[in-house]
Amino acid sequence: MSSENQDFNKSKAFLIDMTKCTGCRGCQVACKQWNQLGAEKTEFFTGEGYQNPPLMSEYTFTRIKFRDYEKNGQNEFAFYKEMCMHCNEPACASVCPVGAFKKTKEGPVTYDAERCIGCRFCMVACPFGVPKYEWSKALPLVRKCTGCYSRVKEGLKPACATTCVSAITYGNREEMIKEANKRIAARPEKYLKKLYGSEEAGGTSVIYLTALPFDELGFKPVTKRPLPSYTWQALRLVPGIFLTVGSSLSLLSWFNHRKERIAKEEEQRKSGATPKEES
Amino acid sequence: MTAAKIIVNEIKGYHRFVKFLIVLVSLGALASLARFVFGLGVTTNLNDTFPWGLWISFDVVTAVPLAAGAFTLGAIVHCFHIKKLEPLVRPAIVTGFLGYSLVCVGLLLDLGQPQRCWHTMVYWNPHSPMFEVSMCIAAYTTVLFLEFLSPVCEKFGYHVPLRLLRTIEMPLVVAAASISTLHQSSLGTFFLIAVDKLHSLWYNPLLPLLFWLSAMCAGISIIIVEATMSHKYMGQPDESELLETLAKILPWVITVYLTVKVFSLVALTQGPLFNRPGLLVLFVVEVAVGGLLPLVMLMNGNVRENNRLRATAAWLVIAGVILNRFNVSMFGMEAPGTFYYPSFLESVVTIGIIAAHILFFVLIAKYFPIFEHHPETVDYSIPDHFHKTEKGHAHGAAKA
Repeated sequence: MSSENQDFNKSKAFLIDMTKCTGCRGCQVACKQWNQLGAEKTEFFTGEGYQNPPLMSEYTFTRIKFRDYEKNGQNEFAFYKEMCMHCNEPACASVCPVGAFKKTKEGPVTYDAERCIGCRFCMVACPFGVPKYEWSKALPLVRKCTGCYSRVKEGLKPACATTCVSAITYGNREEMIKEANKRIAARPEKYLKKLYGSEEAGGTSVIYLTALPFDELGFKPVTKRPLPSYTWQALRLVPGIFLTVGSSLSLLSWFNHRKERIAKEEEQRKSGATPKEES
Repeated sequence: MTAAKIIVNEIKGYHRFVKFLIVLVSLGALASLARFVFGLGVTTNLNDTFPWGLWISFDVVTAVPLAAGAFTLGAIVHCFHIKKLEPLVRPAIVTGFLGYSLVCVGLLLDLGQPQRCWHTMVYWNPHSPMFEVSMCIAAYTTVLFLEFLSPVCEKFGYHVPLRLLRTIEMPLVVAAASISTLHQSSLGTFFLIAVDKLHSLWYNPLLPLLFWLSAMCAGISIIIVEATMSHKYMGQPDESELLETLAKILPWVITVYLTVKVFSLVALTQGPLFNRPGLLVLFVVEVAVGGLLPLVMLMNGNVRENNRLRATAAWLVIAGVILNRFNVSMFGMEAPGTFYYPSFLESVVTIGIIAAHILFFVLIAKYFPIFEHHPETVDYSIPDHFHKTEKGHAHGAAKA
């Protein structure tokens, strides 16, 4: 957890305008190329709709979800790009026992495969269901979108943002939010008047603009409070509880044993016995 | 006659049930071998939607409170100084030590990279409940091991280590209670991060406190069940009188637990409670059959005095705690329309672990002075002078 006192306005963020997405899935391909991810054997309609692969996995860090709906009597497609949200205060980073996840100052949440012990707590904790596991391996590790940290720290854009011709903008988080609000104000009839990611899970580095309500596109409803705070409110009490329980039990047993010793000595004095024959 | 032959002959002499346990443990060991050869994905029903299954729900989240007898009883006997319960402490420590050792085994099987388990000791992340629990489990297993050394040293008549163990006995008891308080509750903290995942019947900010309280209920109940069964099946001494005292303490703890549970449910829970009928049934069964029923039973003096009924009530409490842990870590975490059930190999491993626990307990009780330990011969006040430890005790206890 390196996120304290970090200015998230200056960290990089994705602005993904789903109304401009054409569903070409160039981002999926670019992601696989840059991250050297294997192909998956797919079949039509094994997932929810037209999209393939059916789910994100150890081989697929990002994915375009298709949703068909009717508009003015015509069939239309709406899209949703699923990927790691790179939370400002990531749940995965807070629960990882070995601190394998890190929120970088550039924005991406990185994962250190050398540290990971494979406990899968990150998968349980992530509100967006992003970290995936290498289920095929005997000694598996976790895989997830890296936010192309290796590119970003050298001043490049992430692979998917570079490839995308229309929908993905990449830049400082503050500016991305400003830009999103500008687009909503310019064409209020086109956009849903809400941003997904500006406040979700305490704010993320991926901001979505859509035309359809979020839940219809498959966005998960997520708390606005940073997730690490939920566990920290209990965990911060740990040292105090340890000292309180430890010291009060010590005191209690010291008193009780002292009482017993005094009683025993009293008894011995009365009977005049030597301490060696006590038992 | 070789050593191997002696061992084989010794095993041949065992009761059929013990031999059956040995078979179960071997099967479990084979199944866990399969996990390392073929991988987690093939051998378990786990997937990206259900990253934690039976091995976490039972082998860790449930087994830890079931092994809580050692710290609860240690604190009751040595800190609150209810000394007459002392004969129950050793069996409880053996159960605790076995329980925690097997938790470690279960955890190592479930980890993707078990060979890296030492990483938790090196790369600290104090914000992680898992970090805290793994540190505590490592520390507490060590404490239990030291406590378990007493009967071992007695068996072999090692005087000097015995004296040393006697000196650190009280610090160990206090350490055991404090460390257990931390990790029993932190197992509940695990699920505080599962906002919007764990159903609101169980999700509330007091989950850690509830886990700690119910762990004590489970610990006391396990001692009652264990003493009753080892009297009945292993011909060990009858401790009914002591169990009655424990059965008097138990309803108080259950009452506190249920009060906190009701309070957190009414005052602190956000989100709908009645939207999932299946979960609601599980919740009602957990609270009514595993909480209220044994509470009512144990408030009745006749039940506490009756060996059978008392053990039944204790079994109910144990069942309630087990169901609670499964509700929190498995059923309550399942999104609507999804379902996880353990694979054959997962189940074989878990059955093997349970069998290993019973098997080792029986064997340890057979070869070491666990039940024969008679506290009335021992001075348990804090040893203020070293020479106060009686010299003849070690041999006497081993022979008795």
